[in-house]
Amino acid sequence: MSAVSVSATPLVFDHVSHWYGDVVAVNDVSAVVEPGITGLLGPNGAGKTTLLQLAAGLMGPSGGAVRVFGETPVRNPAIFRHVALVPERKALPGMLSARAFVEARATLLGLTNVRAAAQAALEMVEMDTVADRAVAGFSKGMRQRTKLAAALVQQPRLVLLDEPFNGLDPRQRLHMMQLLEARAKAGTAVLLSSHILEEIEGVASRILVMLAGRLAASGDHRTLRRMMTDRPHTVRIRASDVRALASRLVTQPAVMGVEVDGADALNVRTTDYTAFSRLLVQAAASAAVTLYEVLPTDESLEHVFAYLVQR
Amino acid sequence: MATNTVSPAAPAFGRVSFVRTALVLMRLAWARTGSPLLIIGVLAVLALPVLFSLVFASRGALSGDPVDFLLARFDTIVSGLATPLIALLLGTSAFSAETDDGTLLYIVTTTTPRWWIVLSRLLFAALLTGLLAAVSVFASGFVAVGLSDPEGIVTAYSVAVFYGGVTYASLFTLLALLTRRSLVVGLIYVLFWEGALSETFQAIQYLSVRKWMTAIAEPMMQGGGDGVGPSALYALVGAAVVVTITVYLGGRRLHEPRMGRIGS
Repeated sequence: MSAVSVSATPLVFDHVSHWYGDVVAVNDVSAVVEPGITGLLGPNGAGKTTLLQLAAGLMGPSGGAVRVFGETPVRNPAIFRHVALVPERKALPGMLSARAFVEARATLLGLTNVRAAAQAALEMVEMDTVADRAVAGFSKGMRQRTKLAAALVQQPRLVLLDEPFNGLDPRQRLHMMQLLEARAKAGTAVLLSSHILEEIEGVASRILVMLAGRLAASGDHRTLRRMMTDRPHTVRIRASDVRALASRLVTQPAVMGVEVDGADALNVRTTDYTAFSRLLVQAAASAAVTLYEVLPTDESLEHVFAYLVQR
Repeated sequence: MATNTVSPAAPAFGRVSFVRTALVLMRLAWARTGSPLLIIGVLAVLALPVLFSLVFASRGALSGDPVDFLLARFDTIVSGLATPLIALLLGTSAFSAETDDGTLLYIVTTTTPRWWIVLSRLLFAALLTGLLAAVSVFASGFVAVGLSDPEGIVTAYSVAVFYGGVTYASLFTLLALLTRRSLVVGLIYVLFWEGALSETFQAIQYLSVRKWMTAIAEPMMQGGGDGVGPSALYALVGAAVVVTITVYLGGRRLHEPRMGRIGS
């Protein structure tokens, strides 16, 4: 077991694939996670959890290579001096107090001053005042913070978090974001998964988008927002005179197609949603048409991800 | 409440003590094992041989020879049923529960050597099983014959069930790491392999922990055994092999624990 060098890149996925039997969970993913906060975004079943498990060395990849601080993580417990994984599942040993649980982790990690390390971790997540209560009586948010304290007890240089904001109220969510940002500023690499873009775009400096096991896109949140906004959109419009509105819209360069759907509805495909929003108002005004409803029909995250994968 | 996001100084790593680590792992095991239902189950199984002794004692001379009675009960109920069932409950409960709810993750994402984790859990189940089964043997003997211990049967079987507790607990600890249906598989093993097949086929005696327990007990009793079946030395070597295989294979399994999703 070789010593882990924290000067090396925290996490590298090099053409990593993983399959369970016939099911491909991760398909040829290459990415680098540097110090700072990286978001791992994708719908449920996209392969985010498998990727985190691979990063923690809980299983080896079926193809490609994973490197954590330059080391292969699988069968290498020494990496856990510098790596922590916070699972999504809320289960904790209910009979133990939060303090006993975090101290148990500190002992198993080989820390010298177990009590001081556990106290510092509990203070970090604001659980020190209730740390002597049994975990069984904790709310989801308190459990989440206890899990985080247990993960941060050795001050890891790479933190892997699976859906960390689940069950947190807005104030707790803000606190966790501040906590992760503070760790990131101190040089820690944080990789956190979520299926909600809004949840991570405010905190992650870089986002990896996963869909069906593939890395669909990557970049900062502005780049991803632009990619998502600039894609073709389908908009359903209900108006007082759809035929008059259609005749105005069909000549516009931003409009790819117009389809009249019944007496009062119109389906419009556009390549530039922002420009279309402006010209729709102008077209309706010039044709003296009243707009009843404007509804994008393909705004779900799955639609957005599907588009990114097809690009 | 002010947020506390200032990172404290990184804690230092030191020399890891097996005893300290094992105590923590045993505490975590107890946190998962010590459910009221499981404790009631264990106590009910332990009470079985004592109840038989109470019935025997209540009938006085009508019940026959106490030595024959105790030998028969210790071989069938204690060695063949109570000890393996307690070992099954205690050996599988912690790892199985932790695998099912994902809390095993908090143990395997540490620097603790994997074989330490398996050995600690094995010791937890083995010591509890061995001690509880030995107490059950002693209590049954006391009810049936008082403190007289004719032909050294109670002492011999107290030692034998302690040995059996360690061996069975090893088997079932490994089972909990190899399959998610460890309780069902273990129960089938106890009832068919140890309960029926080892009694029917001579060759299986050499692969039966129940018969190994008899082999450990017989040399300690007056008159010894009948010399048929495995020797005490064979039984000791067999137990050592079982423990070694459990620690080795269990440790390998914990490197890649196959917990399925770590998500919800």
